[in-house]
Amino acid sequence: MRLYNSKPDEKRLQYENNCEVGVFSKLTNAYCLVAIGGSENFYSTFEAELADVIPVVKTSIAGTRIIGRLCAGNKKGLLLPHNTTDQELQHLRNSLPDSVVVQRIEERLSALGNCISCNDHVALTHPDLDKETEELIADVLGVEVFRQTVAGNILVGSYCTFSNIGGLVHPHTSIEDLDELSTLLQVPLVAGTVNRGSDVIAAGLTVTDWTAFCGSDTTATELSVIESVFKLREAKPSALVDEMRKSLIDTYV
Amino acid sequence: MPRKPKKHNHSMRHRLVTFSPFGRSKAMATRSRMATRGVEKHERQNKDLATSSLNGFKYNMKDKIQQSDSSDDEEFEGDVQADFVFFDPKLSDFHGVKVLLQTYLDNLQWDLSGFVDLILGQPTVGTVVKIENDEDDGVYSVVSALSLERYKASSCFLFCVFMDSKCVLELKDFLLKVCQDTDVLGKLKSLVGEHAQHVGLLVSQRVVNLPPQLLPPLYDGLFDEVGWATEDEPTKELRSSFRFKFYLIISKIYKHKNADQNRGTVKNGEESVIYNRPEDEIFFEVPSGMFSMLILCYQCANLTSIKCFCSLAHGHSVFAYMHSRLLLMRQLKNYRPMGLVMAVEACKISSFREQLHLLIDE
Repeated sequence: MRLYNSKPDEKRLQYENNCEVGVFSKLTNAYCLVAIGGSENFYSTFEAELADVIPVVKTSIAGTRIIGRLCAGNKKGLLLPHNTTDQELQHLRNSLPDSVVVQRIEERLSALGNCISCNDHVALTHPDLDKETEELIADVLGVEVFRQTVAGNILVGSYCTFSNIGGLVHPHTSIEDLDELSTLLQVPLVAGTVNRGSDVIAAGLTVTDWTAFCGSDTTATELSVIESVFKLREAKPSALVDEMRKSLIDTYV
Repeated sequence: MPRKPKKHNHSMRHRLVTFSPFGRSKAMATRSRMATRGVEKHERQNKDLATSSLNGFKYNMKDKIQQSDSSDDEEFEGDVQADFVFFDPKLSDFHGVKVLLQTYLDNLQWDLSGFVDLILGQPTVGTVVKIENDEDDGVYSVVSALSLERYKASSCFLFCVFMDSKCVLELKDFLLKVCQDTDVLGKLKSLVGEHAQHVGLLVSQRVVNLPPQLLPPLYDGLFDEVGWATEDEPTKELRSSFRFKFYLIISKIYKHKNADQNRGTVKNGEESVIYNRPEDEIFFEVPSGMFSMLILCYQCANLTSIKCFCSLAHGHSVFAYMHSRLLLMRQLKNYRPMGLVMAVEACKISSFREQLHLLIDE
């Protein structure tokens, strides 16, 4: 369970001096997409951490590098906007595991990453998404879909990020909204910021169930909040034992 | 007590200069939220040269009304009013200033956040330009003068708390690395090395369609602040750190591709160098030999429009600026973007200020 942050004296996670890691990458429990271009540093950070576990694929979408904001996906599927080229679609189909359904959808709101936020079970979507798109999401990603807003913002994909374990939402989300969303998503949620006070959570942070990447401007306070809500604290043997103590047969005699 | 914001009541009719209908509509969309104000005439007051740093500094300029150009009025709903306000830099301006400085050192990966912190940690010298009552609190321009010597030490126990100045070291290394001319390299080395205590880095970045009428007060304010800092700063080291003998400027220009090879092939009417910023042209005036003692050009990596998407996340109107830059680049296909590093003697600054006034106020 590790959190990759990038304090300046550790590994930098920046894409061309830009700390919006969630814009140039898409991370799920089954694969990781990274934008082409930029320095190799960005790609190699992901590779170093994830390569043994999930495939890390370099790609562009619609000829751009803002892939994190254009596509939406989880371990079961990946949704691409209508302006994805055929070559990109083919490349992704070839590079991703067979269990992942890659689908290009016709939707007027083409920045799917900004409109859809999902984990492996639930998705929150932009209230103005087409009915057909909603059905496709439920089908391809295998999730339950809810049309929601986050702190009054319709771009739910930008202002919240959640995994199967926890989630981080826009700092101005009210307590009632937080409770409501938490009930819908069935995961604990916390309102916070990333990248030194930026409220665009999904642009500054990408998560899987076991690791997270955030931009190098993220402060220590923000990091500790992220670590606690996504339960990323380094697993120490004693911690594990403490948690399991009730069910363990005590062998330390 | 910090200085109060310097209010520059500069209501003016300004037509935004963008090159495409899309850029214009985007710029209009962000600007239309601002309340239109009646045009006010302000009397020019005597500048209150505050000797104490506690006094606020109000700055009213005579209003300049621009006649709206009727040629492309059909695409505009009318002129847009904007009240620009000058503020001292503060820590909450971090994101806006960082976006403006993204391409400061070309595409080098360096400690940009640290550099922005240095600028923001220096409220006494430096200015940030915003629009009055802007909900987004967007930063439209930043100017500052950073002492290369002050930020050299790895830990500074001075009045304002400072961070690691690794960014300054990276900046110096970058400058030495891009310098290919051996004569210039020697001068540059001495400027950033032994003589660093006399050198100030002049940082000035802005959105491309910022009205040029703001430039004279912006620069005047900056050089005045440097002067006041040499008297007003609390400690002796700080005061002496602002006694600049040279200003170092890093900027961008467009050089005609044929300019170096064969002067004859530059077509009539096409200039050999295009300046992004009017003040660069004044600084660069080599024929007059007045200002620049050091000029260095280096090949720039291509400026792409990708960087504009990063600022979309912040809802910045910098998007319009970047889009128009992209179109400008297509029109400049015979030109190559070059970085430009200049060193200017501080004693020549007063004539620079006059020239800038003359250039802009015409």
